[in-house]
Amino acid sequence: MNESKGIGSIDSVYCGSGVDGKGLRCVVFFSGCNLRCPFCHNPETLYGKGKKIELKDLLEKLKRYKPYFRRGGVTISGGEPFLQKQFYLNLCESLRQEGIRVAVETNGHIVDEAMIDAADELIVDIKNQETDDYACYQKLRKVCAEKGKRISWTNVLIPGVNDTQIKIENLCSIVKDDDFKFLPFRKLCLDKYKNLDIEFPYSEIREADMDDLNCAYSLFNGVKN
Amino acid sequence: MQNQEFKTGEYQNKIDVRDFIQKNYTPYEGDSGFLCGATERTKKLMNKVNDLLKAESEKGGVLDVDTERVSSLLSYPAGYIDRDKEIIVGLQTDAPLKRGVNPFGGIRMARQSCEAYGYKLSEKVEEEFSYKTTHNDGVFHVYTDEMKAVRHAGLLTGLPDAYGRGRIIGDYRRVALYGVDRLIEEKEKDRKEYGKKLMDESNIRTLEELYKQIDFLKKLKDMALLYGVDISKPAQNAKEAIQWTYFAYLAAIKEQNGAAMSLGRVSTFFDIYIERDIAEGKLTEESAQELVDDFVIKLRLSRQLRTPEYNDLFGGDPTWTTESIGGMGEDGRTLVTKTSYRILNTLYNLGAAPEPNLTVLWSENLPEAFKNFCAKVSVDTDSIQYENDDLMRPIYGDDYGIACCVSAMKIGKQMQFFGARCNLAKLLLLALNGGKDEKSGKQLAPEGESFKGVLDYNKVRAAYSKYMGWLCNLYVNTLNVIHYMHDKYAYEKIQMALHDTEVERFLACGVAGLSVAVDSLSAIKYAKVTPVYDENGMITDFEREGDFPKFGNDDDRVDEIAKELVEEFSATLKKTSAYRGAIHTLSVLTITSNVVYGKKTGATPDGRAAGEPFAPGANPMHNRDVSGALASLNSVAKIPYACCRDGVSNTFSIVPSALGENREDRAENLCDLLDGYFAQGAHHLNVNVFDREKLIAAMEHPELYPNITIRVSGYAVNFHKLSKAHQMEVIKRTYHERV
Repeated sequence: MNESKGIGSIDSVYCGSGVDGKGLRCVVFFSGCNLRCPFCHNPETLYGKGKKIELKDLLEKLKRYKPYFRRGGVTISGGEPFLQKQFYLNLCESLRQEGIRVAVETNGHIVDEAMIDAADELIVDIKNQETDDYACYQKLRKVCAEKGKRISWTNVLIPGVNDTQIKIENLCSIVKDDDFKFLPFRKLCLDKYKNLDIEFPYSEIREADMDDLNCAYSLFNGVKN
Repeated sequence: MQNQEFKTGEYQNKIDVRDFIQKNYTPYEGDSGFLCGATERTKKLMNKVNDLLKAESEKGGVLDVDTERVSSLLSYPAGYIDRDKEIIVGLQTDAPLKRGVNPFGGIRMARQSCEAYGYKLSEKVEEEFSYKTTHNDGVFHVYTDEMKAVRHAGLLTGLPDAYGRGRIIGDYRRVALYGVDRLIEEKEKDRKEYGKKLMDESNIRTLEELYKQIDFLKKLKDMALLYGVDISKPAQNAKEAIQWTYFAYLAAIKEQNGAAMSLGRVSTFFDIYIERDIAEGKLTEESAQELVDDFVIKLRLSRQLRTPEYNDLFGGDPTWTTESIGGMGEDGRTLVTKTSYRILNTLYNLGAAPEPNLTVLWSENLPEAFKNFCAKVSVDTDSIQYENDDLMRPIYGDDYGIACCVSAMKIGKQMQFFGARCNLAKLLLLALNGGKDEKSGKQLAPEGESFKGVLDYNKVRAAYSKYMGWLCNLYVNTLNVIHYMHDKYAYEKIQMALHDTEVERFLACGVAGLSVAVDSLSAIKYAKVTPVYDENGMITDFEREGDFPKFGNDDDRVDEIAKELVEEFSATLKKTSAYRGAIHTLSVLTITSNVVYGKKTGATPDGRAAGEPFAPGANPMHNRDVSGALASLNSVAKIPYACCRDGVSNTFSIVPSALGENREDRAENLCDLLDGYFAQGAHHLNVNVFDREKLIAAMEHPELYPNITIRVSGYAVNFHKLSKAHQMEVIKRTYHERV
């Protein structure tokens, strides 16, 4: 195995999430991202240096959690995992050889058949806060349909930014009948920005509360029906 | 045996409750759909109980004390909550929540407990005990100066030398299955056999104990007669089976004020009677649940008179009325029955509560529906704990129960001598200070090298082993004194009458502060640690350079140290033989005393400040387990049960939103978590699913949150009964959450 295949750059591994895909999950945060979303809550994966890790070491670590993975498995997140193609593919393949299911969390901007095929399911966060271009999601949706991969969509709901009727209508046209949930915009990442000595671009925007969520879901369901 | 309709078996020829259960029980693999809510009667009675509990709380924790009489089986006339509404009867004294005094463990403790709550022990009791030697007297007649010194310094803590030792589970079911007359008959047979033996000290002692057991079995019958119930013959139906069993338990808590007075494993036993009554049309599901509810109401009223200091130590007023539920049989059938559900259902029917201490014996093979139900009850009430049946069954068979929090024993066949615990973190400081107590500067142990300059791991580790050897010897000897005296002056007559005459005994030792000691050693090994000294050359603090791996992150470099420590401690204990041939066991359990132990311990090399609480039980230190909940669990799972046979306690707190998005997902994920944890040979898990914010609110506004039950090391407490220091400690604990 050559080095480029065997070594990846990750920020951290978090062992024990009940909300990053089905069942209990270990989440591997890849370093590096092709986007610079101003509301990003994992800035350390964008701006941090990351650390090099050998595939076999990462695999050894993740294998320890197999007893917990009756319904769950490993979620590869980031950052954008699809930026480290070979490492990502090797990791997926090794995990699946171990019988561990893999979900990948991507921003949907890199649509690559092999990488989509390597995961068992996808979690895609739709970024409609700063743009209304949904082309990449259409494309991704098509490939996933061909490959028979389930997508769960998410969208960070930001008050005054993407909670409008028109934004939500567009969202619905992508999501259709797939799983979907709004992630309320929170500012729990402020400390992370502070540690990185970077200003949080959305620091002035308020957090989404229950009312915002309810309102958005009722718009969303209204469009769907 | 009169119960013709029960399947016959060996249990008819000898005392063998397990055989009766195995021959007659009906495993239940279905879901909770059959359960019934509380009846009007139950609700009314429970309202009355809630009023009493409120009054008790408003009076500062003790509603009333009977200072005139000494608690025992026949001291008080019959007492009722509301005679017409009660189905299962019997109270510890003549009124609900009125506490009796029990000076057999020590008269001073009894006197102080009365005074702390504004009562005065009567002249009569004072005089009576002025002619008696109590367990406490006996112990202090023999304690050496060294024993007193380590006890005083808090190196050995929580020793049961001033009250009942507890942690003994009588097989209370025997009274229902056989009736008292048959039990007396069997004990008489044993007495005859022992009479043929050599009259050496051991056999004479056994003979005297048999006399006491028989005497108290007779008293047990008389006690039931005070309530108009004749328990000389076997119980004939479910109500009688529950009533007979409860009388036996009641006798135990009237006679003994042991710290932990656990119930055993009664649900599936009761189920046999309940299902028979339902089949015969004598009970409906509603009336069956009502019986179980009424029984549990009684258990919730169990009280002992303690000093406020004791309550501070244990976070309120626990009784550890532990009931072990579920598990699998040796033949592969599940021991889950409908009554396993019914007893858990009391948490809904009567509201969440810390007692009885409902303990689910978890097996990978438990019916999925039952796993899911337990998980939901956990998510809803935070009132149950889980212990690994797949780990314990091969050792204890399938009719064991848990005493206190995590102590397994075959019911009626094994008992333990409760030995509290040794403070491992403080022992490390003692080793670094050449045998001196870091707090007082006193030379407690033989003088050794005081460490100067940057600490060398191998040298520190060697010194630690040396002092561990010294302390383990002293520890076992101290326990031997305590238990010799307890047997002599405060023997558990009714509980031991409900054991086989030949019992296996454990000497249950324990350690506290494991994660502090382990992280401290890791700091010395992987970072650079330099002690800071005061003017007398005592170490007051430590300076650290560099990072080090911390227990709770599934990092073998440090987790191995934990494993090695408990293995060494366990092996070292065994070098000193235990009283009455007891087998040495070890627990990693602090109960809530991790707060008090922390107070008594100076700053440690891991960066923990002087006085700061330890983590409870085997838990990683607060907020140091940063790699996620499963990593934290994996670290604790590495502590080998093989050398910690008295239990490895882990208290787990997770915020609901991290466990899953909705109630269904949370329950499913909790099942996976328990399966995964226990599959690795882990022993115990307390489960709390709640937000830190809710606890902060409860601390600020206790009146708005009167019923928050939380799990601490091996048992549950009402959050509002905790001291401020304990509340802060709970809030500080690592909550697994993801940002």
